[in-house]
Amino acid sequence: MLGSILSQYARSLAVFAVFLLMVLVEALGIREAIYPGLESFFNWMNQSSWIGVIGTTYGSVYATVEALHLLSMAVLGGTVLATDLRLLGMIFKDVPSETLVTGTHKCFRWALLMAILTGIFCAAGVGNKVYFMEVFWIKMLVLIAGSCFMLFIKQPLLTSRPHAQINPWTIRLVAVTSMLIWFTVAATGRWIGFS
Amino acid sequence: MNENGKIDDKTIAALSSAGIILGGLLYYWLGEGQSTVELLELAYGSFKFFNNPLVF
Amino acid sequence: MINELLLQFAHWMEAQEYSQMLVAGYYSYSWLEATHVLTLMVSIGSLFIIDFRMLGWVMPNVPASTIAARLHKPMIIGFVIMFITGALLVYAKPVETIQSLWFRMKMILLLLAFINAWIFNNRLKSAKGNWDNDPVAPGPLRTGAIISLVLWCGVVTLGRYIPYDWVDCTNTTNTTILWAAGCVDQLNAL
Repeated sequence: MLGSILSQYARSLAVFAVFLLMVLVEALGIREAIYPGLESFFNWMNQSSWIGVIGTTYGSVYATVEALHLLSMAVLGGTVLATDLRLLGMIFKDVPSETLVTGTHKCFRWALLMAILTGIFCAAGVGNKVYFMEVFWIKMLVLIAGSCFMLFIKQPLLTSRPHAQINPWTIRLVAVTSMLIWFTVAATGRWIGFS
Repeated sequence: MNENGKIDDKTIAALSSAGIILGGLLYYWLGEGQSTVELLELAYGSFKFFNNPLVF
Repeated sequence: MINELLLQFAHWMEAQEYSQMLVAGYYSYSWLEATHVLTLMVSIGSLFIIDFRMLGWVMPNVPASTIAARLHKPMIIGFVIMFITGALLVYAKPVETIQSLWFRMKMILLLLAFINAWIFNNRLKSAKGNWDNDPVAPGPLRTGAIISLVLWCGVVTLGRYIPYDWVDCTNTTNTTILWAAGCVDQLNAL
């Protein structure tokens, strides 16, 4: 009985477990306990890792990787906007939303991978600064939550059946959440540069 | 909904995670908005995007 | 001559009240720049999806002309916002922007990108046959898409270089760079 419920609602239970874990990490002060220990890692990334050394030594390489990061975010944003605005019924009204959801996903995954790889390089170059920035940690949190949401929640739901069989308000909620996630990731990312 | 008329796993997961994330993000942005308004009011005396440098 | 005129124009802009207000504001310049950069997701994001479709990389099962037509509006909205915010960014810091080698190169690439877009659009309209449903567009359109991708990658990269001071007027004595960047005072002093 329990096993059947667990397997039937595995995804929902995983969401609940992750949420509970986050509440516990915060409530029990685990985050504050872990945080000081991370400083040495960020300093190592910045001063000793080869990407940190390249990023801090060659300004032109750093700026070029920053541009690649922006370009990957642009492609990522393009795929997210095209798909989510279609889910909201605002563009591509003559193309089935199922086609957009499946057609843009591969491009989204590549853009996300590129953005993460170039992002690690960019963060390493200023590792000793971003460690102290709240906005950097907000970005990381939203990036991780957002990537999991896109890959393990949104896409599996939207490819599981024709969209006519999904409650339209569920689709709208998922689309708005996805757009706000990637807007936040991009906006907080830009703010790191100003802080 | 699945064929038994029950809300299925993927829908529950989507609704709950979207609810949590959207709620968190709205809370974050509203907080940012509020603190920005307060800072600008403190700087300029009222909510303005910028001030005339000639009357600083 | 043109460099002197541009510099005069930049000095005139810099003396404007609103130009100073944009830079002196707490958030005004940062918000302007953030809007300019974030709108990349709308403008370049839409444009690259159209280019990728021509190359058969995304949604090969949707007619290429449908993708191009449906993304045209968001792309144009994105580019209009980018031009307005871009112009305001120049207006806020006119002298250092007009004397930036990267900014000047970016403007040249931007011009080339628009010429390419115009040619691409004409080719798209005149492309005959039933290629629209093919997963990959005909050769000339593919070439246009690749040129577009390269040029816009260049525009974004040069845009990202603008804040860096590697070849600022005060950082170099190379006369070619000084002339290309329009460093009138430094050239006169040599």
